[in-house]
Amino acid sequence: MIPLKKALESSIGKKFVMSISGIALVGFIIVHLLGNLPLYLKAEQAGPMLNEYSAFLASFGWLLTAAEIGLAAAFIIHMVYAIRTTLINKKARKNSYDKGVVSKGGPSHLTLLSRNMIFSGVVIGVFLIVHLWQFRFSKGSMEPIKLASGADGLDLYAVVAQTFSQPVNVIFYTIVMLIVGAHLSHGLWSALQSLGAMKPAWSKAIYTVGILIAVVLAAGFLFIPIVMFLTQSGV
Amino acid sequence: MSDQNMNLKLRVWRQANCSSPGKFVEYDAPGISEHMSFLEMLDVINEMLIRRGEEPIEFDGDCREGICGQCSLTINGQAHGSERGTTVCQLHMRSFRDGDTIVIEPFRANAFPVVKDLVVDRSALDRIIAAGGYVSVNTGPKADANSLPFGKAVSDRAFDAAACIGCGACVAACPNASASLFTGAKITQLALTPQGHEERSRRVVRMVEQMDIEGFGNCSNLGECEAACPKEISLDNIAVMKREYMRAMFSKF
Amino acid sequence: MTLDSKIPEGPLHEKWDNYLHHAKLVSPANKKKLSVIVVGTGLAGASAAASLGELGYNVKAFCVQDSPRRAHSIAAQGGINAAKNYPNDGDSVWNLFYDTIKGGDFRAREANVYRLAQVSNSIIDQCVAQGVPFARDYGGELVNRSFGGAQVSRTFYARGQTGQQLLLGAYQAMLRQVDLGKVEMLPRREMLDLVVIDGHARGIIVRNLVDGTIEKHAAHAVVLATGGYGRAYYLSTNAFNSNATAAWRCYKRGAYFANPCYVQIHPTCIPQSGDYQSKLTLMSESLRNDGRVWVPKKKEDVKKPANQIPPEDRDYYLETRYPSFGNLVPRDVASRNAKSVCDEGRGVGAGRAVYLDFSDAIAKQGRKAIEDKYGNLFHMYEKITAENPYEVPMRIYPAIHYTMGGLWVDYELQSTIPGLFVAGEANFSDHGANRLGASALMQGLADGYFVLPHTVGNYLANHIATTVSTKHAAFDEAETQVRSQINDLIERGKKGDKTVDEYYRELGMLLWDNVGMARTRESLETALAEIKKIKHGFENNLKLVGSADNLNKMLELAGRVTDFIELGELMARDALHREESCGGHFREEYQTPDGEALRDDENFAYVGAWEYTAPNQEPQLHKEPLVFENVELTQRSYK
Ligand SMILES: Cc1cc2nc3c(=O)[nH]c(=O)nc-3n(C[C@H](O)[C@H](O)[C@H](O)COP(=O)(O)OP(=O)(O)OC[C@H]3O[C@@H](n4cnc5c(N)ncnc54)[C@H](O)[C@@H]3O)c2cc1C
Ligand code: HEM
Ligand code: HEM
Ligand code: SF4
Ligand code: F3S
Ligand code: FES
Repeated sequence: MIPLKKALESSIGKKFVMSISGIALVGFIIVHLLGNLPLYLKAEQAGPMLNEYSAFLASFGWLLTAAEIGLAAAFIIHMVYAIRTTLINKKARKNSYDKGVVSKGGPSHLTLLSRNMIFSGVVIGVFLIVHLWQFRFSKGSMEPIKLASGADGLDLYAVVAQTFSQPVNVIFYTIVMLIVGAHLSHGLWSALQSLGAMKPAWSKAIYTVGILIAVVLAAGFLFIPIVMFLTQSGV
Repeated sequence: MSDQNMNLKLRVWRQANCSSPGKFVEYDAPGISEHMSFLEMLDVINEMLIRRGEEPIEFDGDCREGICGQCSLTINGQAHGSERGTTVCQLHMRSFRDGDTIVIEPFRANAFPVVKDLVVDRSALDRIIAAGGYVSVNTGPKADANSLPFGKAVSDRAFDAAACIGCGACVAACPNASASLFTGAKITQLALTPQGHEERSRRVVRMVEQMDIEGFGNCSNLGECEAACPKEISLDNIAVMKREYMRAMFSKF
Repeated sequence: MTLDSKIPEGPLHEKWDNYLHHAKLVSPANKKKLSVIVVGTGLAGASAAASLGELGYNVKAFCVQDSPRRAHSIAAQGGINAAKNYPNDGDSVWNLFYDTIKGGDFRAREANVYRLAQVSNSIIDQCVAQGVPFARDYGGELVNRSFGGAQVSRTFYARGQTGQQLLLGAYQAMLRQVDLGKVEMLPRREMLDLVVIDGHARGIIVRNLVDGTIEKHAAHAVVLATGGYGRAYYLSTNAFNSNATAAWRCYKRGAYFANPCYVQIHPTCIPQSGDYQSKLTLMSESLRNDGRVWVPKKKEDVKKPANQIPPEDRDYYLETRYPSFGNLVPRDVASRNAKSVCDEGRGVGAGRAVYLDFSDAIAKQGRKAIEDKYGNLFHMYEKITAENPYEVPMRIYPAIHYTMGGLWVDYELQSTIPGLFVAGEANFSDHGANRLGASALMQGLADGYFVLPHTVGNYLANHIATTVSTKHAAFDEAETQVRSQINDLIERGKKGDKTVDEYYRELGMLLWDNVGMARTRESLETALAEIKKIKHGFENNLKLVGSADNLNKMLELAGRVTDFIELGELMARDALHREESCGGHFREEYQTPDGEALRDDENFAYVGAWEYTAPNQEPQLHKEPLVFENVELTQRSYK
């Protein structure tokens, strides 16, 4: 047996941590997307549904807080390990090639996207701060309203709608969602490979499925701001 | 077979030793036959340089048939050049066109210090093997070779992993300079082999530890190593290494 | 000095056991105090270093490459013999012994060859225990293939990479000892001299190839496993760094050099394509199992594409001349026949090639089966020639491949310098005048795993009290000599204008033409005269750039060429004195009416061991008579 601390500090252990936290995050954004899907509906339907959903989550009380702490931990761990491994990787080749590593194609997964995971990751990180400030921490300063079900709640929908009525936000979200897709297009397969959950026979299929899921997730988010902007500006 | 002669330009990395900085130097390579191997082309250039009284370009190579793993050039940013499944000693000039400029660099990685020009020190790979890439048996009387059957399907897979020639192209091609493919291949071979089972946990832990000490990067599953590997060692070997590691985390040894 | 081969008493099959019963042992506590230098980390060196380290000796191992795993043994493709008789086709230790001694044209020592056959099975067991991935069947058992010169299938193989897999097994075993602190591995070191103190080998002088430092290393015994000297011919199947330097410098320190004229020409190599060519690539002999060798019957057809020559116009000359062995005749026979059909003007390609055709095998067994057996070889062929051997026949031609000659050793593998042991291709021991396929790997590993650990121990048992140190004056003397040789090359190199490579190619060509596949008194005398000229030129008009204090491969090569020139001379001299044909040594004057080698057992059934005398003086020949008590000397016939 290896002491856990030593194991997780090895190059392989670090990637275990990254992939497990990454998978947890993927789990979150899948749920998050599902929760946000009502936003594709007309304002009259979407508003109550989103607010209802938010209130439903809030009703879990400390359980929600715990989940949020867990989520924050996953983000932080993922980011910390991402930065650490990236620094080690950069240090492993101080003098690079004249034109960098040029891919030979074939089985290689080396693409502009896969070799810049830290870039897409940092963008997501920055987005997250903005995003939480817009939608999560703004909740504290919101007036409670009566929900359709009669319970007390917040008009989160209004905030979202207000946000996506501004072109800057729409553009910002659209770009970020493309980058989320980029991150996941390599990230999903990578996480499974990092955990050794790969067989040669599946490898290609998993890689393709990984990209598909990434596209679906990114697209799922991506059109929300656009659709909301367009409907609000009366198109 | 038609004989095509080409005129090429070479941009070659010249570096006096590990502690001095290197630089690119350009050379003309006129009248290169397409049947030459890449190293033979360099032999011809070196003869030219020697006649001019210049120091020849130092590069490694021994068997010149793709098995010893000694040749180690990065050509236009690709370890062993553009052809898949090929060592640079087996790369023939027919894969270049008249007038091409070819950039020739050593296998670059901090764990592979440059010895001179295009020659690097890959002893880190030996140290990884020394940390556990073997079956701990002494020379002496052993059970009959057929006493432990080992089915063809798995033994073929073990062989695929064992085909690694230790050239280090995987490291050279990996944007992170990770030695995962090399290390994974040996771990896989011995983990699949019945004789290697006994010490599989100890092996993977020690070899990975050594790999980290040597200063190789982490694996981000970029797969460029497999693309550059002259023996086309599969990424699956890295996955097996991860599984072996996970197994070791939870087993006594 | 008379040559004492120290063959143990008793009947052939008891000699090795007898030896072991009487060999002296060294206690574990004493082993810790004893040190052994192993030069070379090929199959012979790596297996010896590993085994000696396991026993508890302090071992230092050296090689010229950047890693011990790159020794030339890595390139062996075909396989390794053993008398396991797994296929139940009637093989036995005796049969392996007999085939080997007959294959060597009765110019090897019976006792050594028998021991080789005896330990062959242990080698396979040992390698399997190390995890070497030999080819297996669906049921999980090992499979064998047949090889030239034998009528049984006794060759174990690992696809077309047998040497690689065996070497990695030995390399890993050695690195395990490195990890345990019993072996110190010193790569990128070239041995340039042997240090002899009071008549015993006590150390070596090496050049650190990275920074040019001259290092002194002392030990209680030295094992030399530095491979063969085939690169004397420049073009050969041997790796670039293969050299005779270590062996040659030992020769100059008093070790006798035996049978230098016995070199093997391998029949299946890819023909040369241009003058820039640096080496020739072997296509494993195993290809002759399924490939059929032919040339056109008519000279006019040689330029026609192979598939346009109808079967009746093809001359499958090996099958017709040697009906019982067919395409599987031994190497020397196959090579000479290829040369003779090409000499007749029926060679294909550029004239120096014959076809090796797989179309029948593919038709019979299917492409898949052929791919399984030879996929990597076909791939390699296509890489080099840009032709697809699944569709057009391969073109092959003989090339220098292996050297049976080497430093003379007794039954203990000890040279004429006590304490200097020689193993693997570097010694002359087991293959006589011709080596059978798949037996070099066997010999290298037999020497390293199963012979040296006992014989070195037997020697060391008498030297437990000896202290060794590089402080001894003999080390300084040797070091000074090495330094002056190197400085001399550097200084000379500033003045002349012909490069090392030019001289080297010239020497190679000369040896190939005159001391190659077929020799005559005349050609050998020409060689001796011409070598003197090359030597003179090399000494007076050499161009070399760079310095001795860093990596300088041309300087390394210059040192090796110096030795190859002298060795080439000895090869020619030996070939000239041996007025018979045997195995790889074919003197055109001595052949049977149908062109086979004609031995002269009455006058030449001996090992010719040459003793160095003084610079530019003729060496002295010593003869070790070969006594055959168990086999009858017959003319080899593969008809
Ligand atoms: C292409 C090819 C295919 C072959 N296929 C087969 C086959 O299928 N079956 C078979 O039985 N045989 C085969 N052989 C023959 C066989 O491979 C060799 O005879 C055998 O491997 C020699 O092993 P070795 O240990 O004696 O020497 P090598 O493997 O040649 O090792 C020599 C070692 O000595 C070191 N060295 C040399 N000079 C110095 C020096 N001056 N100082 C320090 N170190 C030095 C080198 O670095 C190296 O480590 C083949 C040979 C060739 C060329
Ligand atoms: C168009 C896309 C998106 C929309 C419309 C959206 C909307 C929202 C809304 C409305 C909330 C508040 C939920 C609540 O508190 O009940 C929220 C929270 C959150 N969002 Fe998003 N989101 C989007 C994309 C993303 C993405 C891509 C990520 C991840 C990288 C993300 C991460 C989070 C996090 C971490 C929270 C806080 C959750 C909590 O504390 O419970 N969001 N989002
Ligand atoms: C929605 C949020 C995120 C999700 C779902 C996510 C998911 C993933 C997944 C699944 C992986 C693959 C892990 C592996 O190969 O082991 C990964 C890798 C990576 N992530 Fe994230 N990630 C997110 C946010 C971030 C952030 C905020 C950063 C950076 C600050 C980041 C940086 C990285 C990097 C650098 C890698 C590649 C690491 C490597 O393979 O070496 N990610 N991510
Ligand atoms: S895995 Fe491939 S690239 Fe890496 S060392 Fe082995 S053979 Fe070379
Ligand atoms: S290219 Fe590098 S990142 Fe991993 S998959 Fe190969 S080692
Ligand atoms: S020189 Fe041996 S693999 Fe290229």
